Amino acid sequence: MNKRVLGMAAVCAVGALTLSACGSSGGGSGSSASGPVTLKLVAADYGDKASNSSTLYWNDLAKAFEAANPTIKVDVQVINWNDIDKQVKTMIQSGNMPDVLQTGGYADKVADNLLYPASDVLSTTTAGTFIDSFARAGQVGGVQYGIPFVSSARAFFYNKAIFTQAGITAPPQTWADVAADAALIKAKVPGVTPYALPLGPEEAQGESMIWELGNGGGPTDSSGKYALNSQANVDTFSWLKSNLVDPGLTYANPASTDRKTAFADFAAGKAAMLNGHPSLIQMSTDGKVDYGVAPIPGKAGALKSTLGVADWMMAFKKNGHKDQIKAFLDFAYSEQNTQKFDEEYNLMPVTQDTLQAMTSSGKHQDLQPFFALLPQAAFYPLGDTTWDTVSAQIKQSIGTAVSGDPAKVLGDLQKKAQDAVANK
Amino acid sequence: MSHTPTAPSRGAPARRRAGLVSLGPLPWIAPAILLIALVVLWPVYEMVHTSFLRISSSGFVRGSAGLDKYRKLFAETDLGHVLTATVLWTLVVVTLTMVLSLALAQLFNQEFPGRRLTRWALIAPWAASVLMTAIGFKWMLNQTAGVLNTAMTDLGLINSPKDWLGDPNTAWPWMMFVAVFVSLPFTTYTLLAGLQTVPAEVYEAARVDGASTWQTYRKITLPLLRPAFLVGVVINLINVFNSFPIIWGMTQGGPASATATTTVFMYQLKDTDIGESAAMSVVNFALVVVMVLVFLKVSRWNEEES
Repeated sequence: MNKRVLGMAAVCAVGALTLSACGSSGGGSGSSASGPVTLKLVAADYGDKASNSSTLYWNDLAKAFEAANPTIKVDVQVINWNDIDKQVKTMIQSGNMPDVLQTGGYADKVADNLLYPASDVLSTTTAGTFIDSFARAGQVGGVQYGIPFVSSARAFFYNKAIFTQAGITAPPQTWADVAADAALIKAKVPGVTPYALPLGPEEAQGESMIWELGNGGGPTDSSGKYALNSQANVDTFSWLKSNLVDPGLTYANPASTDRKTAFADFAAGKAAMLNGHPSLIQMSTDGKVDYGVAPIPGKAGALKSTLGVADWMMAFKKNGHKDQIKAFLDFAYSEQNTQKFDEEYNLMPVTQDTLQAMTSSGKHQDLQPFFALLPQAAFYPLGDTTWDTVSAQIKQSIGTAVSGDPAKVLGDLQKKAQDAVANK
Repeated sequence: MSHTPTAPSRGAPARRRAGLVSLGPLPWIAPAILLIALVVLWPVYEMVHTSFLRISSSGFVRGSAGLDKYRKLFAETDLGHVLTATVLWTLVVVTLTMVLSLALAQLFNQEFPGRRLTRWALIAPWAASVLMTAIGFKWMLNQTAGVLNTAMTDLGLINSPKDWLGDPNTAWPWMMFVAVFVSLPFTTYTLLAGLQTVPAEVYEAARVDGASTWQTYRKITLPLLRPAFLVGVVINLINVFNSFPIIWGMTQGGPASATATTTVFMYQLKDTDIGESAAMSVVNFALVVVMVLVFLKVSRWNEEES
């Protein structure tokens, strides 16, 4: 008797769980024709405290959008950067997908056929406003899925006070200049890291790609296939090893030094040169460092392009809310809204009208060098659906190329990348 | 061995009653069994199951992978040195911990002024979160601002501040030091409890017979300490083998996987292939079980020395 009661209870409990699970995932599906629809928006938090959390921005935007579109409700969920990937994975695994997601990458979701093409969820006006290089970076196999949201670009930062002390008058143009300046700084300004080379797991894929670009290399060849161990790349790391690492002109162990260490050192006046992005402007100002920004030095001369990074917006097919998503994205990408967001967090725009407005407003003098670089930005192979995996492998071990054998380290990475492509 | 209640042959009704009677304790042990099933067996099942799946980086299950993830894992060039490092790490840390704890337990078993206070102080490394301790040491060893680096430079032990954790050759000894540091309190207390169970009469008899201090220790204390010592070794073996926070907090297993044990390596694989990472977990799980079984066999667990 007891057992039967227990069994019944168990069945009921399991049943209840299943029912509620169905309820939450099936609630909004296929109901695009009539009645109020709730769009689930999941976005990353760009703020660093409660008072500037992105929740405030999205809640305001949602309220304004709901006022203009009474049949659509927006359910805002803002997640911090440390957790967003994990939580989105959980949502996807449990079938409880968002309608609109704003985060760091999109291509892995395309591989599983989860997303609407951008043309389905953007009006032609909105689709036409994006800076071309960014819109193209959102393509997988010629179709755009990733919708750029905010961007950033890298430039070369140097500490003017240290340069003066070392008797250097102009920022370096070539790799040879970097090495020569670094040697001067090491001799005349002891206690300072001449060039900060962060190849630790935090952002090694960025720093290594910047150096590879300087030698005409990069993670992929001209056909878009991975070429991690191309001759140009091997030469790049050999150069770094013998000209910066071995002579002690950078950190002793670049492979275990993260970007945040390099940024903190620069902002504390303890590093003379590095590749940085716009957030370093505020850090340097706070640290009272007199910094200069210059184009990134290449092997033969300063680079015309730079590494661009973008965060992305994407729309999931699962709940079938195509029309509502389109209305929402058109609203979210209005010049007024994007500019508000970019200015709040000191980020770079991805749309031409906002770039125009921010360049000409005169309020962003410190960002001017970056505005000029944006249209020529080179990107990671974001449209390759294996890039996330390959990038994680690069982060993990590319740093050891400047302490060990560059050809072997890059060769191992290339092999892993090819495995990833074969298994995609 | 003991006889199970159903073994002797009896009539059918009696057997049925015996069956019902044996179910009697069920309501009382059921919560415990449920708990074990929920927090032990189910995760183990999920872990093994995941290691046979193809899961995309977005978290989407794409179907069965058969043994592919295991093949990929065993083809990893880093696996060899990670396994060697794991064995060395476990042996060195457990051995050092046991030797130092024996000495500490002996010390704390003596009467001396302030004993209560020092016994309390010993708990500190145990009471503090291991991750916090590891991160604390990481900052103390920091090249530019680390207090240990500054102290060692000022004392003339090193010429200039060093990046201790960036180079595997110096990172390993430091991480082993921290691992021993956090393992000492538990082990010392286990051994101390063991020491206090040794009856005073035995020592008195040894003294009357004229045994030297060293003889007393070797022939009386150590054999009688055996059960406590074994408990300490087994628990430390499992803990140190599985130790994640110390290594993750201090080096994240880097550069690449040069300072990773299998547990940390499993976590590193998670970023690129969750299935392969699960395969590593399964191997890890098997290693722990085998290691403990072998140790218990060798040490003849529960058997008094003849």
